Amino acid sequence: MKTETKYFGQIEYDADDVISFIGEGLFGFEDEREFLLIPFEGNGTLFCLQSVKTPGLAFVAVEPLSLDPGYDPVLQPEELRAMGVEESGELAYYSLCAVKSPVAGSTVNLRCPVVINGETRKAMQAILEDGRYGMRHLLSDIRRQEEQEETPC
Amino acid sequence: MLILRRRAGEALIVGGNIKITVLDTSDGAVRLAIEAPREIPVLRSELLQAANANRDAASESSTPQELLAMLDGKKSEGGPDKGKEAMDNGG
Repeated sequence: MKTETKYFGQIEYDADDVISFIGEGLFGFEDEREFLLIPFEGNGTLFCLQSVKTPGLAFVAVEPLSLDPGYDPVLQPEELRAMGVEESGELAYYSLCAVKSPVAGSTVNLRCPVVINGETRKAMQAILEDGRYGMRHLLSDIRRQEEQEETPC
Repeated sequence: MLILRRRAGEALIVGGNIKITVLDTSDGAVRLAIEAPREIPVLRSELLQAANANRDAASESSTPQELLAMLDGKKSEGGPDKGKEAMDNGG
């Protein structure tokens, strides 16, 4: 199958590649149920969540564990049930980024990860209860903290 | 703003057709039961915030490549020039 994308022109994909949102889907985009997860070139931690039916709709997503190795999302029992798993650790997590100009003002939403079951390709967006995670963390801040930890003065 | 104290089992009526009952409280959380006509949407307020954050994320004003350069740059040596190199060599 073929579809137009926001960043990659026309691409070819298999039905198996499609990620299907269940329940409320992406908040504010409830009509968009099917997406493709396409990696951007680079270090492999930045992805494009591309709508299948709307070429102009694509999100920039990052693996939260690549930003914060201690990232520890805990889903509610009913969410785990809906996703068909028993533990939060069985699922893959992607955090949507708001890419700003200048780019240093870009933020990441660690509170509402897109959660994907790699086997069934089912997805949902969660709102974590964990108060440590906000919806607009400055990406440049997260990296700066990390550097400070890595290089003690 | 109206502030009321209610106990478990007690309720509020809003606008004559919305009933909010306090079921119980535990661990600092309150469980509420809300009976409202179907046409009245009841949303957790963070759902609206999440939708706004998503809308922001859907319309980026720098390119993903610029973001990648920033993330890569920070990861390697920290300088913006290093970041550019990392992007050019990557992939």
